[in-house]
Amino acid sequence: MMRVNLTLKPMGSWSIPIEAESIIPANFLSGTDLTVWRGNRELGLEEAFSVSVVGGADRAEDVEIVLAGKTARLKRVGEYMDAGKITVLGDIGMHCGNFMTGGTIEIQGNADGWLGREMGGGSIICRGNAADYCASGYRGGRKGMTGGRVEVYGRVGDFLAENLAGGTVIVHGDAGDMPGAEMRGGTLIIHGDCTRPAANMKDGACYVYGTARWMLPTFRNLGTVRHEGRTLIQFTGDVANRGKGNLFVGNYEYLD
Amino acid sequence: MTELLVKNAHVIDPLSGINGETMDIAIRDGKIVEEVSAAAEVIDARGMLTMPGGIDSHTHICGTKVNFGRYMSPEDMRAGRTPRRGPMHATSGYSVPTTYGNSYRYSVMGYTTLLEGAMAPLEARHTHEEFTYTPLQDTMANTLFDGNWSIMEAIRDGDVKRVAAIIAWTLSAVKGFGVKLTNPGGTEAWQWGKNVSCIRDPVPYFGVTPAEIIRSVIEANELLHLPHSVHLHCNNLGTPGNYTCTLGSLGLAPDLNPRRQTLYATHVQFHAYGGSGWKDFSSKSEPIANLVNMRPQVVIDMGQILFGRTTTMTADGPMEFNLYRLHHEKWSNHDVELETGSGIIPVIYRRKNLVNSVMWAIGLELALLTKSPWQCLLTTDNPNGAPFVRYPEIIGLLMSRRYRDAEFATIHPDTGSRVPLPAIDREMDWYEIAVMTRAGQARALGIQDLGKGHLAPGADADVAIYPIRIDEVDPSADYQKVIDGFSRTEYTIKRGRVVARRGECVVHGSNSTLWVRPKVSENYDMGKDPEFVEKFDRYYTVRMSNYPVQEQYLNRSRCIETETEL
Amino acid sequence: MNVKDAVCPFCGCLCDDIEVEIEGDRVVGVTNACELGATKFLGGERLKSPIRREGKAWKEISYDEAIRYAADMLLDAERPLLYGWSGTHGEAQCVGVHMAELVRGVIDNTSSVCHGPSVLAIQEVGHPGCTLGVVKNRADLLIYWGSNPIDAHPRHLSRYTCYAEGFFLENAFRDRKVVVVDVRKTQTANIADEFVRVRPGGDYAILSALRAIVRGKTDTIPRMVAGVTRDQLVRVADLCLNAKFGAVYFGLGLTMIPGKYKNIRNAIELVTELNRHTKFTISAMRGHYNVYGSNEVNTWMTGYPFAIDFSRGIAFYNPGETTAVDVLARKECDAALIVGSDPAAHFPRRCIEHLAEIPVVQLDPYPNATTAFCKVQIPVAVTGVDAEGTAYRMDGVPIRTRKVLSSDYLSDEEVLSRMYALMQEALKR
Repeated sequence: MMRVNLTLKPMGSWSIPIEAESIIPANFLSGTDLTVWRGNRELGLEEAFSVSVVGGADRAEDVEIVLAGKTARLKRVGEYMDAGKITVLGDIGMHCGNFMTGGTIEIQGNADGWLGREMGGGSIICRGNAADYCASGYRGGRKGMTGGRVEVYGRVGDFLAENLAGGTVIVHGDAGDMPGAEMRGGTLIIHGDCTRPAANMKDGACYVYGTARWMLPTFRNLGTVRHEGRTLIQFTGDVANRGKGNLFVGNYEYLD
Repeated sequence: MTELLVKNAHVIDPLSGINGETMDIAIRDGKIVEEVSAAAEVIDARGMLTMPGGIDSHTHICGTKVNFGRYMSPEDMRAGRTPRRGPMHATSGYSVPTTYGNSYRYSVMGYTTLLEGAMAPLEARHTHEEFTYTPLQDTMANTLFDGNWSIMEAIRDGDVKRVAAIIAWTLSAVKGFGVKLTNPGGTEAWQWGKNVSCIRDPVPYFGVTPAEIIRSVIEANELLHLPHSVHLHCNNLGTPGNYTCTLGSLGLAPDLNPRRQTLYATHVQFHAYGGSGWKDFSSKSEPIANLVNMRPQVVIDMGQILFGRTTTMTADGPMEFNLYRLHHEKWSNHDVELETGSGIIPVIYRRKNLVNSVMWAIGLELALLTKSPWQCLLTTDNPNGAPFVRYPEIIGLLMSRRYRDAEFATIHPDTGSRVPLPAIDREMDWYEIAVMTRAGQARALGIQDLGKGHLAPGADADVAIYPIRIDEVDPSADYQKVIDGFSRTEYTIKRGRVVARRGECVVHGSNSTLWVRPKVSENYDMGKDPEFVEKFDRYYTVRMSNYPVQEQYLNRSRCIETETEL
Repeated sequence: MNVKDAVCPFCGCLCDDIEVEIEGDRVVGVTNACELGATKFLGGERLKSPIRREGKAWKEISYDEAIRYAADMLLDAERPLLYGWSGTHGEAQCVGVHMAELVRGVIDNTSSVCHGPSVLAIQEVGHPGCTLGVVKNRADLLIYWGSNPIDAHPRHLSRYTCYAEGFFLENAFRDRKVVVVDVRKTQTANIADEFVRVRPGGDYAILSALRAIVRGKTDTIPRMVAGVTRDQLVRVADLCLNAKFGAVYFGLGLTMIPGKYKNIRNAIELVTELNRHTKFTISAMRGHYNVYGSNEVNTWMTGYPFAIDFSRGIAFYNPGETTAVDVLARKECDAALIVGSDPAAHFPRRCIEHLAEIPVVQLDPYPNATTAFCKVQIPVAVTGVDAEGTAYRMDGVPIRTRKVLSSDYLSDEEVLSRMYALMQEALKR
């Protein structure tokens, strides 16, 4: 096993974010001669981080990266990651785990926007809150997340799992506006409340165990069903979009 | 004075009658000359296939519709991004690249002249602005007249000279090059959400038929002595059984011009479909090619499709809506007042799809069954059939039966019973490819006298030098070498300067725009025609004085004045 | 002297039938323009020369000095922001893109605070649109949704839509029906045949309901949707289906509400659905006279209409991250060049606070709210008055604005080209 400890150095008054897509387990198999970017300047990894490596590994599966320091603005960590583990002790910046296909990212604090965007596999666990566009797609794209699993223990922002096409997204707290918009596959589970779930959905399954506020008028009520010990109201839609998706809610309120 | 000498080039220059001679090419101040001084810079092109710069006679690279294709497709943009590097600006995009992306990638493939296939007159300024940012090719624009109200009214009144006068005024005003008819009449009908089914179907309100539009505009085009013929995108694109409509349209063309065709029909692959629906969809390349073979007055281009993702864009608005209903992808449409329209949707052509497989075969068949390469030019209707960066694959397919068979084995298994391709043995040679990618284009566009498409003294020094030794490569077997060679020149020379070298563009460049000003007598100056002016003022939303494109929009203006019969 | 067919550099209508009366170096009369346009032509007191902040005072400096300052500022920055662009001509915008690419900065235009959501929606589902003249000549149904042209685009109705002469309409005024959808009864609502008053935030639900009704799924819809009765929705759907040519024009009342671009997406999908039955188009009521031009220029040069981040060399686009308001609110830039807009007058407070902390240079003829945050301001000629250049109307039609009088001021393009040349030189060394 190899453990890579990266502690972000204090940046003084700098507020320019650092982009660090090089921080994935596979890249550390051949040393730490990596670079990151602060704005338009390229920095050596060790200019930005205190680096220590314990143990060794021959394959990415056996590498764990532990990120410490004020990482709330550190972007693109774990992008295209395919194996191994990244643990973030605090908060993490935007685009963590984008395009990831395997391995695990665990964030002990909060995650900023676009956590797990266009993810195809692997798993992301966020112990705190996640901001907007968690487990979503890219602008103009038809498919968002296509596989893997994202689990957030806190709240999430707006447009959660937009264009969801596959995989599972679980949120233990509340979600913001329009979770599961345009979803065409996969499973989205929100334990708390949200507004306007599954807008324009085509297919897939969306569960809201709490209350769906501003429930859209274009879902057909199919009656109640039992689901994992809960009684939920099942809808199908979005009728406006010739959709055949399933939306299950604990409770709902129209904006009438 | 700058001089350049390309030594020991292995030249194929069909317009000069040269087929594989080893020779030197002398260049002075942007032109080919007989000889240069000893001080000239020398390029050793020993053993390398050397041809006039490539010409694309039908591509969509600049203007409102193309830019909307970019605007709506950030997912396409991120597929091909490069940073600023040396004299090269940043580029983005795969099927609809940025202007610099288009220009650099064409240049690396040896292309030096491009014709934008469809420019709406009202939005011409936009096309010219983008031309300026397409620095490594000379540019020209086909101007859309398919739904032009004044022209349809003049046709209804039987006044072909007035049709010609309107074309003359418009081309001069918008700095256009050729006359384009896209689904004639259909684009006007589409402004009511309707279409015309074929050439005998009258246009709502105006009452004229596409056949009348095509015939009158052909006649007007020749009255104006324009360098290029009418450039036609037939009615009914993309529908099963449309080949009869195509045969009817091509049959309308008389033989009026001894120097070139009288009708250029574009992306004919999309118009050569048999069947009564998608279930019995089949190739009708044979009857189309037979007709072309019998009629020297017709030139077509392939409109080849290749499998993969691309973006379709055309002035044919109703067709795009039908395509949208098939694919249910995103759809854009943009109708232009009193003139024309356009539509855009992204598509993916799939090998496993029978219709797509048949389409793929049809394009190749048209090229292989048309006897004269001068009559069937190589295009994908970029980016409709495939992005132009894939032209080398088409060259490979045309030159190698083995490559075609290998590809055929991967497509939908039912294709064989619906297309004649498996029975075609023809393999094109280097000379034929040179015709289909530059010489034929220059003749069809009527620009060989302007020094395009050949390497005779006096010609523009636009030269493509490919790292292909044609005496050593057997294209039938080594098709991958052919593809690689045509993908990246050793040198691309534009206006006497090396602009691209082994995949890198080495200068910023500066394009010329070729446009036409037909000289007409006072009586036929539509700018002074009271009825024309009054209608303009009442129904356009732009003032007539603000409509013409000022010459300052043309980076280097090359105006072609024609003597007319008006 | 009178100049005819001048082009109004105020709003996205880009009216090109303005007559301007000139005396010496001043505009003294404006005919045909609305009040907003006339005010723009008549102008106000301009800055005389570039100014630089020295402590609490301003010092007049030369153009050379000001341009040099701006070039150095951009070259030194790790992530400069080049913002604005909607109030200048296309030629200047092109130089701006080259500059952003050269210094690897973020370039964004005012779309990010107006119709950015419309762009995002179009990127999801496309855009069935047309030029204004198609509507003028054909439309028998007009829908103004979350927009109030009588206030913001005063000549839209008279020049292009309701009151404009139309080729296929016998009596345009009588033959056209008007629907207005808004959360309050606007002036435009007063001229509507049908006014749909929506509860704030309810537009998305209304649009979905209309789509379902057009598809014949009325029975799914509750009796009341966001303050609107189902009966009224059915009536509106019938109006749409029975129209020969319908045109929807939407404004910030649909883009800047919860759900943002999803509202526009829904409106576009309604229009696309209607095209299966009749002819329908939809367009955004663009604000600045050349904001659409800035989108166009950015698109052909970078691939994206706004919010382009060159910091990594290639163009990266992610509104919500690379948009000026987000960059500023998150303090993710360290210098700013402002051209052709006044962000301090429109941006949220947090953004303005960051502007106060970083070096800012502005090109603008007039002192404005942003001036207070500038280190240097460079006065320029006003496009359409003492400078000419290309602008794109809200429907994509490019028109060359005219120079109606001469002045000694440099145009935006001239100032920026000099700045760019200095930057290129510096990087060569």
